[in-house]
Amino acid sequence: MRWSTDDIPSFVKERQYVDTALVPMLPIDFGDGIRQSSAMTEFITVMTAEIERQFRGRMLLVPPFTYLETKDIEECHKEIEQWIQHMKKEQVKHVVMITADPSWKKVEADLDELLVWMPLVPFENMDAEYKKQVISEQIKQLLPLVMDKWKGQ
Amino acid sequence: MSEEQNHNVSRRQFLTYTLTGVGGFMAAGIILPMARFAIDPVLQAESAGDMKAVASVDDLTDQPQRFDFSYEQEDAWNTSEVTETAWIYQEGDEIVALSPTCTHLGCTVGWEANQDHPEEFFCPCHGGRFKKDGTNIEGTPPTEPLHKYEVEVQEGTVYVGKAESQV
Repeated sequence: MRWSTDDIPSFVKERQYVDTALVPMLPIDFGDGIRQSSAMTEFITVMTAEIERQFRGRMLLVPPFTYLETKDIEECHKEIEQWIQHMKKEQVKHVVMITADPSWKKVEADLDELLVWMPLVPFENMDAEYKKQVISEQIKQLLPLVMDKWKGQ
Repeated sequence: MSEEQNHNVSRRQFLTYTLTGVGGFMAAGIILPMARFAIDPVLQAESAGDMKAVASVDDLTDQPQRFDFSYEQEDAWNTSEVTETAWIYQEGDEIVALSPTCTHLGCTVGWEANQDHPEEFFCPCHGGRFKKDGTNIEGTPPTEPLHKYEVEVQEGTVYVGKAESQV
């Protein structure tokens, strides 16, 4: 389900079924990295929307966790930990974080929840047909990860 | 002299004629667009875009197969391309196209998506299961069968329309 006034009422109603939060994580850079930052945003937005479509009855796509690219990743880690703690307090059982930023690799081991890093595929100059193919290939690989997480409870 | 006068148009008559003429145009100018608006839904041709081509009849088997199709959807000021999926199979002469949207909470189901449940549609979210014809299996969360697309075959191509509830 999406973070929208259309979907949230049914989320509130069906809470016992919707036990997973999907968090896109996006770095922001206004300097030289601005292109990279926008490409990541585009890519991760499309990916998370597609995952939400597949699993909409059990997942809530929350607004992205955005942070300055220059910020120390340990700091970001602390902050996302706060998000996770807060969500868990509100009956969320699983948190799935999706990012294209490789710096998260450093703290991946310290996170209890599922962090998926996807290598960035720049969508610019890609024709629609090919783009669709790339997305569905990537999604196919990602779905089992999420299902395994659910199985692990 | 009096006869000639009869042929002439009096000032009063002239004014009446002109006013009726001009008034008629003005009335038509107001009423025609109104009438046009009122009957517009009738004039709107049932566009072919409502049915979308998804597959060739030759590709169908008695096992449900996944076919994707996309179309443009206008949503307020956004036009976006939407991709939908249909699970289609042929049984005898009948072609059945089922929507992959789980009737529980809207996840995407897959045919034989779980090894433990062959010959069934399976929903990965809460383990909802459906038989081949879309009937929900008792004891799993969904409460109604998978929705069914309207199907039309033209020159060997399968077209699907809206997905509708089977109950």
